[in-house]
Amino acid sequence: MYGRSQPRSTGLFLALCATMLVLAMVTEQTWAEGARGAVKSTLAPLEAAMTQLAGNLDRVSSAFGDVSALRAENQQLTAADQALRRQVVELNAAAKENAALRQALDFERSYGHRMVAAQIVGRGPDGFSRTLEVDRGTADGVQPGMIVTTGAGLVGRVQEAGPHGAIVQTLADPQSRVNVFLSKSGLQGTVTGGPAALQLEIEHSLAGTASGGEWALTSGVGGGYPRGLVVGELASVTHRDSSTSDQAVVAWVNDPAFISLVLVITDFVPS
Amino acid sequence: MKRLAIAGLLVAIVLVQVTWAPRITVAGAFPNLALVAVIAITWSAGVRQGMAWACVAGLLLDLTADGPLGPHAVALLAGAYLSGFWVRNLDRESLLHPVIAAAASTAIYSAVLVLADDLLGLPVPSLGIALQLVVAASVYNAALMPVALAAGRKLHSPVTRRAEPV
Repeated sequence: MYGRSQPRSTGLFLALCATMLVLAMVTEQTWAEGARGAVKSTLAPLEAAMTQLAGNLDRVSSAFGDVSALRAENQQLTAADQALRRQVVELNAAAKENAALRQALDFERSYGHRMVAAQIVGRGPDGFSRTLEVDRGTADGVQPGMIVTTGAGLVGRVQEAGPHGAIVQTLADPQSRVNVFLSKSGLQGTVTGGPAALQLEIEHSLAGTASGGEWALTSGVGGGYPRGLVVGELASVTHRDSSTSDQAVVAWVNDPAFISLVLVITDFVPS
Repeated sequence: MKRLAIAGLLVAIVLVQVTWAPRITVAGAFPNLALVAVIAITWSAGVRQGMAWACVAGLLLDLTADGPLGPHAVALLAGAYLSGFWVRNLDRESLLHPVIAAAASTAIYSAVLVLADDLLGLPVPSLGIALQLVVAASVYNAALMPVALAAGRKLHSPVTRRAEPV
């Protein structure tokens, strides 16, 4: 039995692997992107329903105690705290910038960017893909490349979009790169993703050194992101005299596991 | 009818994985419920069924991830195939073997997924980050395996009884 079943299952394994790899190569083609996005959109309503169910279960569980109410209150306070911290950061940064740049920091009001509010309906299926799925797609004006934020700060970028859903690559994704400047020292650097915290590589400058507690905001360098979006606060900085850069850990203003609503900037075109 | 039930169950498991599971992240990893379910099916119903359901669950996961359809299916197939070896050659009743198989399959799943993503030009983490995630996910999935196995055996009990007489 052993001798017969093993080659059979090995053959089936190889055949299924080959089929899936061919499928991957076909659906990776640019001409298949539309169909792929449409197929992926089909699961979005189910994910939204499941997310809704999770919310309802949270409410039901609150009948057995006030844990849920306290959690909601804590989330509200955290959101308010984040909003206040963002305002402080923006004000501090604005003090170092000229009037035009100050307007850039307050992009939502001064620049009047058009935004689409979207609900998070799902997250990446494993630790390797730090993505979010939202319930807005091309039918709502959402296109790949658009920037995604919350009231607290930058979330990421739309990776692919279907008619009624889109997948967002968050800053925590290992391949994510964002050019930033620091609110106090004005130093520039690049934030990269990671599973636990965002990593920042700060370029050395004669102007000064970075210190913990500084805020990192998008610099707009490279044209990938608009200038002035809050990314996070420097939790720790490691100075390296022998290197041309310092390393820092950034506490991201957004916790992707608990974001429920995001804003997609629909009129900023990354260069 | 049973196939329909398993398909429905897998859809529910994948939905839970992409909506609830990320809330219980430990060391950057969260449970891969689809992989655990596929291993449980392989353990209780055999490697061929395990691989068939791995394709279904993998394609469902691909629908929730960025990039083309297929990488998660290939990764789950590898996990099911490895578990199949375990099932054929070791004591099915022991609880230790499926737990170790879950940990090993998680490592194989992760390696194949990263490799497939790399070949397809999709984002892949650095080696250090990948190892950290693999270790955490392996422990997580192994811890969930006994519960999944009990459910899998219950769902496939008639099939298991037919396969046992030898």
